[in-house]
Amino acid sequence: MIRNKETIIDLQNVTKVYKLHHEKPTFSDHFLSKTKWESFSALNNINLEIGKGEKMGIIGVNGSGKTTLLKVIAGITTPTRGKVSVKGKVVSLINLGAGFHPDLTGEENLFLNGMLIGMKKDEIKEKYKSILDFAEIEHFIDAPLYTYSDGMKLRLAFSVAIYSEPDILLLDEVIAAGDKYFQEKSFKKLEDMFRQDKTIIVVSHLLQFLKGYCDKVAWIDKGEIKKVDGISLLKEYTKI
Amino acid sequence: MSWGGRSKYWWDFLMAMTEKEIKARYKMAILGFVWIFLNPLLQMAVIGVVFQFFVPVKVDNYFLFLFTGLLAWNFFSYTVTKNTPMIVNERMLIQKAKFPREAIILSIVFSNLFHYLIALLLLLLIILVTGKINWWFLVCLPLPLFFLTILTSGLSLLFSALNVRYRDVNFVVQAVMPLWFYATPIVYTLNLIPQKLWVLFYLNPMTAIVEWMRYLLLGIGISDLNRLWWGLILSFILFIVGTIVFYKESKTFDDWV
Repeated sequence: MIRNKETIIDLQNVTKVYKLHHEKPTFSDHFLSKTKWESFSALNNINLEIGKGEKMGIIGVNGSGKTTLLKVIAGITTPTRGKVSVKGKVVSLINLGAGFHPDLTGEENLFLNGMLIGMKKDEIKEKYKSILDFAEIEHFIDAPLYTYSDGMKLRLAFSVAIYSEPDILLLDEVIAAGDKYFQEKSFKKLEDMFRQDKTIIVVSHLLQFLKGYCDKVAWIDKGEIKKVDGISLLKEYTKI
Repeated sequence: MSWGGRSKYWWDFLMAMTEKEIKARYKMAILGFVWIFLNPLLQMAVIGVVFQFFVPVKVDNYFLFLFTGLLAWNFFSYTVTKNTPMIVNERMLIQKAKFPREAIILSIVFSNLFHYLIALLLLLLIILVTGKINWWFLVCLPLPLFFLTILTSGLSLLFSALNVRYRDVNFVVQAVMPLWFYATPIVYTLNLIPQKLWVLFYLNPMTAIVEWMRYLLLGIGISDLNRLWWGLILSFILFIVGTIVFYKESKTFDDWV
């Protein structure tokens, strides 16, 4: 394959082994070796290169390791073996609403959430107005977050994540936030990002979406990469 | 990001988390931030009244003696106890993004330190009103405070990291804290203890810190100057151990919460 783009994500022989325990281990169990460890490889020897600006869809059945792969790329967890190199700022739309404090105001939460996903304080100040405009919650920004509806919280979180201007965006299923109106609005915003030179990785079961927006597809099966190819791979995937 | 940029982000993030801790505590209270002052004052008043009638140790001004130690202890024990299950409690945060995990723990340390310093300020005012203070000693006060913070941070990092895998740690910490309180000369002085046993007391880093604080604030002598350093060195070692364990474990927190 001819590659003329700079590699921005590079996974080499990445293996992630989880220790399965059916109950939480305790000290005494540990020393009496009562718990039987059961190893489970969520990722097995993954080699994957993603170039700058590529839009990659990740497909595979439930439990094949797609989310673990995203977590490893996002740096939320560290692989058991192998090398991960990621250049640039990664933002994932996983756990959007996490990290909000119900007693703090929308504004205080906005800053905290922004820094949590890696934005600098000055950067948030700069984009503050745009984030508020997009989330359409200006009127409530001084109110504590427990007065917000779930939709409002999600809108705020989505806006912060989108305006953090990541180099690499990770989507675990295409997020639809809020009511129909905001869903369309946020989807448009995502479409914009797909048009820009951003690297985007989407884990999704919506093959129609992947077909329309991605230029590459990686098929993961039982923690291994079965195949990486263009969107024609989707056809092969639907056959089985 | 450059090293400078990263450390600025780290510090800004830690301060934002600390601010959140402090603000969130008083948000729904009508008296709001007044509680920062009111809380330690009420505590002092209650304990002051109680010990007016019940003085177990012959010390000049037992109230001040007790409070100097008690404030330091409260900061230490509240912080460590609160921090131990913290990583598990904040599992949603851990799963959300890659951010410096230690900020969760250190923000609790700093917010409690903030409250401790305010209480200390009030105590200083009382000392000024009721007696005399050695200003030269006061200049040295940041030293024991520094070691107290180091010790508290170290144990917080260590226990919170271990508690992710072994949830027993939380129970052990809760059980040990009251014992530890009585093993530290806070309500009593070491003079009440046979000198042979002092060795054991100085293995507890809190002994050195509490005695040092009392010396600087109240001029009460330190029992064994030669052994004072043990506590400080031990605090430092615990901090290093805590940091290393936390750093190693933090890479796989997500797998266990």
